[in-house]
Amino acid sequence: MKKILISGLIAGCILFVFSYGGLFLAIRFLPALFTEYNNPLFNSNGSRDVLFYLHAFIFSFALSWFWERFKVLFKGPFMIRGLEFGLVYALIALLPVMWISFSALDVTIAMVLSWLVYGLIQAIVAGIVFAKVNP
Amino acid sequence: MLYKNILWISLLLLSPAEKTKWVVSESSSLSVNGSTNINKFSCVIPTYDQTDTLTMAQVDKGVILTGNIGLKIESFDCHNSIMTSDLRKTLKEKQYPRLYIHFLSLSEFPQLTTEPKSITGWVNIELAGTTKRVEIKYQVSMDGQKVIHLLGSQDINFSDFNLVPPRKLGGMIKTNDLLSVAFHLKIKAI
Repeated sequence: MKKILISGLIAGCILFVFSYGGLFLAIRFLPALFTEYNNPLFNSNGSRDVLFYLHAFIFSFALSWFWERFKVLFKGPFMIRGLEFGLVYALIALLPVMWISFSALDVTIAMVLSWLVYGLIQAIVAGIVFAKVNP
Repeated sequence: MLYKNILWISLLLLSPAEKTKWVVSESSSLSVNGSTNINKFSCVIPTYDQTDTLTMAQVDKGVILTGNIGLKIESFDCHNSIMTSDLRKTLKEKQYPRLYIHFLSLSEFPQLTTEPKSITGWVNIELAGTTKRVEIKYQVSMDGQKVIHLLGSQDINFSDFNLVPPRKLGGMIKTNDLLSVAFHLKIKAI
C-alpha cells in the first residue's frame, strides 16, 4: 500500500508539471487547436477548476494501483516496461472511452484524437516512473 | 433609475418641441466582437425581428430620444455553431431571452445628409437582467431612399452586466471581459 501511495504521489507530481505545463505551452503556441473548446460542453464558470487540476493525481494513484497488480507482466528495461504499460492502458481504457465520447458528444475527431494522444503520453510517463520507483 | 426615466418622459410630454417619429426597419443589425487568449470572435444578429418606433424631440439641452429595441439572444450567430451556443449560454438566454437598448437622448438633432455625421447619445443597455447607462457614438446619414442609417458603437464589459466571461480548461482558455458592440439601425421617418 505504501509503495502504491509513494509511487502514485511521485508520478502525480511529475504528471502535474508535465500535463499542465504541456497544455499551457500547447495553448500558447498552437492556439488554433483549442478554439473548439469555446463550447458549452466544457465547464466555463471555474466551479470545477480544482477537480480539473486534481486529475493528474487521480490518474497517477489509479495507475499506481494497476501497476502494483500487474507489473510482473511487463518485462525488460524500465523504459520498455513504461512504454508497454502506457500502450496497454491506452488500448484497454482510453480507446473505448474516446470511442464513446466521439459517438455521443458534439466534439471533433481532432479533439478526441488529441485526448487519446495526451492520455497515452501521460500513461507512458507514469509507467516509466513506476518502473523506476516501484520495479 | 425609474425617477430619471419618469423625469425624461415628463420633459418630453411637457415640451412644446416638435416630435419626430422613426420606425426601425427589420433589416437593422447588431454585432458583438470579443476575444479570448487564443482567438477572436464576431457574433451578429443579422436582422431585427420586430418593428419598433423611436420618438425624437428637441429640447433646450439637446434631443430626447425615446423608444427601445429588443433583440433576441437566440438570433446571435457567431459563424460557428459551438461558439454561438457558448455565447447564448454566457448571456443566460434561457433566463433573459432578449437584449434591450432603451434610447434616452442625442447630443444634437441629427443632420440627415448622405454624408455621415458624428453625434453622441445616451442609452440604457439591458442585458441578462442588468441595466447599464452608456454613451454611444453614432454616425447618422440618410440615403437616396430616405432611409436613415444610425450606426452606433460602444465598448462594454461582461462584468458590467454581472456576467462572467467564459473560461475553459481550468482557466487556461479565457475570454476577455471587453466586448465591442455595434449596431446599424435602418430607420424611416413617419
